[in-house]
Amino acid sequence: MFEDLAFWVSYITNGKHLTWYASFQFTIYAALLGGALAVIFGLTGATLKNSRFAVLRLIGTIYSSIVRGVPDVLFFLFFPLAFEQAVEWFVATQVCTPESIAAQTSPWPPCREANWFLGTTEYLLLASVSLGLVYGAFATNVIHGAMRAVPAGQLEAARAYGMSASQVLWRVHIRQMWVYALPGLSNVWMLIVKATSLLSLLQIADIVLWADRLGAPNFLPTVGLVHDDWRWRYYLVLFLFYILVTWLSERAFEAIMRRAGRGILSEVPA
Amino acid sequence: MVSMKQAEPVTAGASPVVELRDIHKSFGALEVLKGISFTAREGQVVSLIGSSGSGKSTLLRCINMLEVPDRGDVLIDGEAVALSGDGPARRIGDENQIRRIRSELGMVFQSFNLWAHMTVLGNVMEAPLVVQKRDRAEVEAEARAMLDKVGIGSKADAYPAQLSGGQQQRAAIARALCINPRVMLFDEPTSALDPELEVEVLRVIKLLADEGRTMILVTHDMDFARSVSDRVIFLHQGLIEEEGTPDEVFGATKSARLKQFLNAANHA
Repeated sequence: MFEDLAFWVSYITNGKHLTWYASFQFTIYAALLGGALAVIFGLTGATLKNSRFAVLRLIGTIYSSIVRGVPDVLFFLFFPLAFEQAVEWFVATQVCTPESIAAQTSPWPPCREANWFLGTTEYLLLASVSLGLVYGAFATNVIHGAMRAVPAGQLEAARAYGMSASQVLWRVHIRQMWVYALPGLSNVWMLIVKATSLLSLLQIADIVLWADRLGAPNFLPTVGLVHDDWRWRYYLVLFLFYILVTWLSERAFEAIMRRAGRGILSEVPA
Repeated sequence: MVSMKQAEPVTAGASPVVELRDIHKSFGALEVLKGISFTAREGQVVSLIGSSGSGKSTLLRCINMLEVPDRGDVLIDGEAVALSGDGPARRIGDENQIRRIRSELGMVFQSFNLWAHMTVLGNVMEAPLVVQKRDRAEVEAEARAMLDKVGIGSKADAYPAQLSGGQQQRAAIARALCINPRVMLFDEPTSALDPELEVEVLRVIKLLADEGRTMILVTHDMDFARSVSDRVIFLHQGLIEEEGTPDEVFGATKSARLKQFLNAANHA
């Protein structure tokens, strides 16, 4: 029995499993960076929608209404590829010579010098930006609504005491907006967390890809234990991970809400 | 009839602090102010009275440009507030100037409008710190003194929502006092309060009047207007119908409309 335990310990700590465990960091980075960007894009979008200028209002409205309707999987595939090729196209206009173009055998990029190799870090950044853009459109709507919920009289008082437009915005308007935005933003955050399971679409060896590989039936002793289709066991671990993240997120949002709602939420005593 | 005001009436020779010249303001098709001029001099308490919709609050809000008048000029300490454009499109002309001027006008609102996310002390210190950029220690000492003065020194660390309406309005008055205002602007400061809470706020305003502060007060409370004012202005349908000392306006009323209004107010 003790030998069994030692066997299982060594199995779940073999090199491939350690790589799997390490890949959880990609999911966490993508969620955190994507979430931060979604809030930044959301604040920007909401500010645009509140702008005095019709053109800016239109940009904000188009962003929040169109991007919300695009499936996240599709945007995940589209944006990094489009961005990569746009960069390569631009670089090609700068570095490609007629000779290097003639020497290029594959259809893209135009010449070999313009090729942009994307590693895990680059893909992770692009994935985070994609998440930020897609869910920033949801955050735009959430924040825009929350901005309107801040009592107008308090903004007027801030102006009446000589605050500049940006002081009114940051010291009163955005500061109080969080209380009304946080329930909606916590939804957006959970959607972002869920969408991190798409990272493997961008050739990132993430937790889902590894669970798939490790759980797949294999018959080669060289890859470790020979076993049947064990994928459900590995997927179960992912379930537990996402449940843990959900629980932690809820605790974190409760704490942020208590802080942001101080003085505003009646259920919070002094 | 003897004036109920104790202090010496301010002489007409004192320098003008707020001067309004021919103020017009419309909201859409509704013309709220139809050409109003008046002057509040150093140390004067001017009360604006009139029925709802007579334009008195709008007029007060034109002084610090919360409403920009369509026509006419506002002068604070002899300095005209810069405006650009005409009619409904008229805008504040110089953001820096209006911010400087606003930072010397202490506005007290009907619905208090304290910043809910700051403590009472934070509310009082906010404008002196971020607008006037004064020293924190000095501002805090002054803020606490102002809160003591209005009688809520012990509530400094509470949030506005934890106070009664009367306490909130007194905190709002302390907030206005702490900017060392040239003029205090009161927009129906007791209208949102229960009668028993009204008294504590009126007592504070009376105290400020007796100190010789320049104040412009929009009010429904005729007894208070009479006891506290140097000058009373009765607005009717966007125009000044009658004005004068409290004794003249309340004791020797000339206008039939004002008589009618005062009768209605007495029977309210």
